[in-house]
Amino acid sequence: MADDSLVIYEEEIQQLESLISKMLKGCEAKCALLVDKDGHLITRQGFTHSLDTTALAALLAGSFASTKEIARLVGEPEFSILFHQGKKDNIHMSLVGDRSILVVIFDDRTTIGMVRLYARETSVELTKIFEQIKENPKGGASTAISDDFANMAQDKLDDIFQD
Amino acid sequence: MVSINYSSREVCCKIVYYGPGLSGKTTNLQYVHAKIPGTTRGDLISLATEADRTLYFDFLPINIGTINGFAAKFQLYTVPGQVYYNATRKLVLRGVDGVVFVADAQPDKMDENIDSLANLDENLAEYGYDLKSMPFVLQYNKCDLPNVMTLEQMDAKLNPTGVPSFMSSATEGTGVFDTLKMIIKLVLDKAKSGGGPARPNASAASAPSPGSSVSASSSAAPAQSVASAPTATSVATPPQQPDAPEVVREEVHQVGTPASAGTPVSAGTPVSAGTPASAVESAPVSEPASEPEQYRPYPGSQSQKIDVKDKKITPAAFTPAGDNIDSETPLEKKVVSEDTTGETSETDSLKSPIMAPSLKKTAPRKKRGFLKRLFGVR
Repeated sequence: MADDSLVIYEEEIQQLESLISKMLKGCEAKCALLVDKDGHLITRQGFTHSLDTTALAALLAGSFASTKEIARLVGEPEFSILFHQGKKDNIHMSLVGDRSILVVIFDDRTTIGMVRLYARETSVELTKIFEQIKENPKGGASTAISDDFANMAQDKLDDIFQD
Repeated sequence: MVSINYSSREVCCKIVYYGPGLSGKTTNLQYVHAKIPGTTRGDLISLATEADRTLYFDFLPINIGTINGFAAKFQLYTVPGQVYYNATRKLVLRGVDGVVFVADAQPDKMDENIDSLANLDENLAEYGYDLKSMPFVLQYNKCDLPNVMTLEQMDAKLNPTGVPSFMSSATEGTGVFDTLKMIIKLVLDKAKSGGGPARPNASAASAPSPGSSVSASSSAAPAQSVASAPTATSVATPPQQPDAPEVVREEVHQVGTPASAGTPVSAGTPVSAGTPASAVESAPVSEPASEPEQYRPYPGSQSQKIDVKDKKITPAAFTPAGDNIDSETPLEKKVVSEDTTGETSETDSLKSPIMAPSLKKTAPRKKRGFLKRLFGVR
């Protein structure tokens, strides 16, 4: 059962974030998101405050997942890079390891080549961090979700879900 | 898999509504979206055809608030019910924490229900999941219609294992919240036990948790309201309990997962959003420390305006005019321009005017400076 959660702690998040912000400075992109293939947002950097990053993460992951199926149909295991070009903003998605997607949103202040170059370099570094996390799990979900977590959640739900 | 983010202190779970076409999965989400307060939910996103049939998925994020210092977030997805869309249906199941099966309670739809349930089992198996160990709730929808089957009749056909089941009417709202509450409860119960019976050290893992989590939450709760990251560091370190079974289980997934599915992601879903520390680094104006409960509209018109400004004031726009300076100044200027462009933020427009004085220099000198620099630099 794939029911486990790999928990990432502050330290690793900071490593991921510093790498991503370095990339953003280098390629002069607008913002970057690191998204899990399941659609969860791992972290984000740059100019994201006007974006609904939760929905964006879910949709980007969905888009990547469907592309993967397309790849499979044409005999490729997976497309590792996806690029959406718009009139003003563009999105570059690239695979990080086997579980995450690095999404870079940029406009005409930079070029696709720069973004691709920096994203590729950063992906390699990010993959290393993910491998470290995978090899050295520090703890499980049980530390965050205590015994009364579910009960307290139920109380909250009773308040929220009133017909 | 439940994703836990110690940086932004969030617990995030994925719940999928599954079922045959037109059984009311999307209507369930629409009802939840309409009835819960705007502060606890995001926008309902529907990837649907023009005839309002779900094409890929519907997505509704809900945030029920802070519990023990962790924001509890749930992402509700639906799948396209039509048989034709099995490929996309399967994709949505990736990384699912709990499944709600929405069955149509009309007698003539029973075959579709049974087929869809079998399809669910099959699709889950492709990811290495097992319906028996997955939080699972059945909802028998359309009980407002005449001549529908009773709960007992439906249970007899669809629920041999006796999981929680509810009669519902998604259009009127009967049973919708009961179903959602139950699946959330099951998901959290499972997350707490770290995988339930499948986990060899379930008891060992859960035993120390109350102590550590209480201490974590007591120190984190006040901190979170102000700024999540700085204090979270100290809080994040306590869970040092080595967790060998996680690794073991992950290997199992990889073995059990067909190449196409590639579920090892299972092993974890880290999440983080808070990021005050680095947000400051990259964008001074961005990311308020306390993540807002409400979701912001996308895309913001404000950011577009700023872009235009930025573009006009971009140092590149000044370069032709700045030729006048003697051989050393261009270097300085270059540094300045790099600084300003290096930041992906609104401050570009604020900092750029620093270069304005260079514009004041007169035209004749400009030419000399240009040649001087051209040859001087080389």
